[in-house]
Amino acid sequence: MNFRIEPAGSAGRIERKPDEARDNRKTRVGKMGRWIGVVAAALLLAAPSTALAQKGKGKGKPPATPTTPAAGAAGGNVDDLDAPPAGTPTTPPAGGDPTTAQPTGDTGGGGGGICEIDPSACPKGQDLGEAAKRNVKAEIYAVEQIYALRYHRFELNPYWGFTLNDQFVSHPGPGLSANYYLTNVLAVGLNGNFYSGLNVDSAFNFETRRASRVAVPLNELSWSAALDFTYVPVYGKFAGFSNFIFSYDIYVAGGVGAISTRPIPVIDPDNRKFDFAPKIAFNLGIGLRIFLTRWLAANLEIADYIFPEKLEQLTIGTGPIGAKPTDLGYKTSPSNPDTWLQDGVSITNHVQAQVGLSVFLPFSFNYRLPK
Amino acid sequence: MRTVVKTLAAAAVGTIVAMSAVEPKAQAQEIQLTGPLAGAKAVRKLRLYREGRFEIAPSVSFSLLDEYRRAIITGVRLQYNITDWLGVGLWGGYGLGYNTDLTDQIDTVANRTSRTAINLNHTGNGTTIAYKKLPFGDQVGQIQWVANPQLTLVPFRGKLALFQALFVDTDAYLHAGLGIVGLQERPDCSTTCTTTASFALGSRVAFAPTFGLGLNFWLMDLISLGVEYKAMPFSWNRGGFDSRGGGTNGAFPDNKIDSNDQTFKFNQMISIQVGFALGTRKTSE
Repeated sequence: MNFRIEPAGSAGRIERKPDEARDNRKTRVGKMGRWIGVVAAALLLAAPSTALAQKGKGKGKPPATPTTPAAGAAGGNVDDLDAPPAGTPTTPPAGGDPTTAQPTGDTGGGGGGICEIDPSACPKGQDLGEAAKRNVKAEIYAVEQIYALRYHRFELNPYWGFTLNDQFVSHPGPGLSANYYLTNVLAVGLNGNFYSGLNVDSAFNFETRRASRVAVPLNELSWSAALDFTYVPVYGKFAGFSNFIFSYDIYVAGGVGAISTRPIPVIDPDNRKFDFAPKIAFNLGIGLRIFLTRWLAANLEIADYIFPEKLEQLTIGTGPIGAKPTDLGYKTSPSNPDTWLQDGVSITNHVQAQVGLSVFLPFSFNYRLPK
Repeated sequence: MRTVVKTLAAAAVGTIVAMSAVEPKAQAQEIQLTGPLAGAKAVRKLRLYREGRFEIAPSVSFSLLDEYRRAIITGVRLQYNITDWLGVGLWGGYGLGYNTDLTDQIDTVANRTSRTAINLNHTGNGTTIAYKKLPFGDQVGQIQWVANPQLTLVPFRGKLALFQALFVDTDAYLHAGLGIVGLQERPDCSTTCTTTASFALGSRVAFAPTFGLGLNFWLMDLISLGVEYKAMPFSWNRGGFDSRGGGTNGAFPDNKIDSNDQTFKFNQMISIQVGFALGTRKTSE
């Protein structure tokens, strides 16, 4: 712990030094370590006790020498957690360990030993005044000690997807994302979905067809796979009923891959039969991850898979049914697969909610962030 | 082939075990159950944005997964927060609608014939006067207004950091209540369902449970920004079709428009709201 010992006039309160000063102090101590070690040892022999400094008569009068905190100092605002236990030697070890309490030249007031050793380094009252006015650019984290670090960890995210934007055919199904976090906020990974056999043709399609004699071209999905990048711009923590705390983060993910789809034959189901075919697909999503432990999180993501879709032709060929490629009129035959699909493509958005778990590997990690 | 699968499976298991075994020191990061903070409250000096405050929140809601007509409901939520985690309130709004692409397609493509006479808006009778199209959009149902008394439970309260540059107090809440929904819907008819007049929309009030969840971002003591999901499942005849009531299990048309044609719909909407809290914000111990 770092201490600063104020002059008697300020009640001799012992305070923690800001973290910011630690590095500067290390440098300074490194240069002056030997000097300070010698001086501190001498001062310890002659130093008045902390209690003596707290008597405070003659406010503003600098102490003759700085003091070190006495074990269990009574009556002062001593931070007990930081105070050395009773009987602990207060003499700094040889070499000036910066983590032990020791007086330095900036102890305020008259300076004391450092002024005798190096008058040019002796702090002046006006210097302290100027120093107090300076802008301190302390680095303060809004959320300290991130509960679960992602840096250099794998994330396995099994989930179940629900269709959000297709009232005609829903495409529920399982999926899996596997990501590796290059930094604490950026990951690269793979994502896959499996839909085959799970597509649900809504009853309202049939009822609409029956009532209005109008058919809507429908499509079903088989699978998708993509290379994804994930970025985590938002993180924080929640208190539940003011009783427990859990951490969460919000991420965005995007990538490119393929999705396999095919039309469901509704216009001419007697003659048309479609095979699944992969198309290029882009995906973009935003997700919420609630950490249950440091390696397990509940996960909700809204993902949009965007791809060019081929739709079933709304008209039926007028040629002979059952014609073979060599037959006359095959070109316009309902049996000719070239007549089954519409020209061009339709850009399709498949938006799905993905509910699942995130497992981070390895399960544990070393904390390397400063906060 | 089997050997390859076994080898891959063994490699995968080995990799997971190996990764799991790395750096066991993190156990030291677990929350200490002893020490000066043992038994202390999870949160101190919590800003109580809700407790004892009355809130007025104008909102705009957008319906999801609509088949024939979308609804945009402008409304307001009035809520009194008894505690910071429990509130009672009323949300209400008036809806404006617009047709989906399917409605436009039906309107454009569907022919008006004797087969569709009971289902598609038209003039004429097919015998002395030929059938002629009238807008299909005029017969589809829509949510006209909603009144929704509800309870709000706010179990989660926290903060959000965006790019470590924007910080905002946030709470997550659940809500549940009773939805009283004013519908514009094709009215019942039994013998004259092919006439033009039978397609004119009538009013009906439906009741439905409502539930959902939301996030509230407290931009300042008085103002919050919220996004909310609400589900409001009930049955109604969205297309104005005769689709049920006859045949086996009533699954076929019966040439009538009645409650059998009201099919279940898991109505959903997303709302965005700006809340204005009245009263002094408190702070917990």
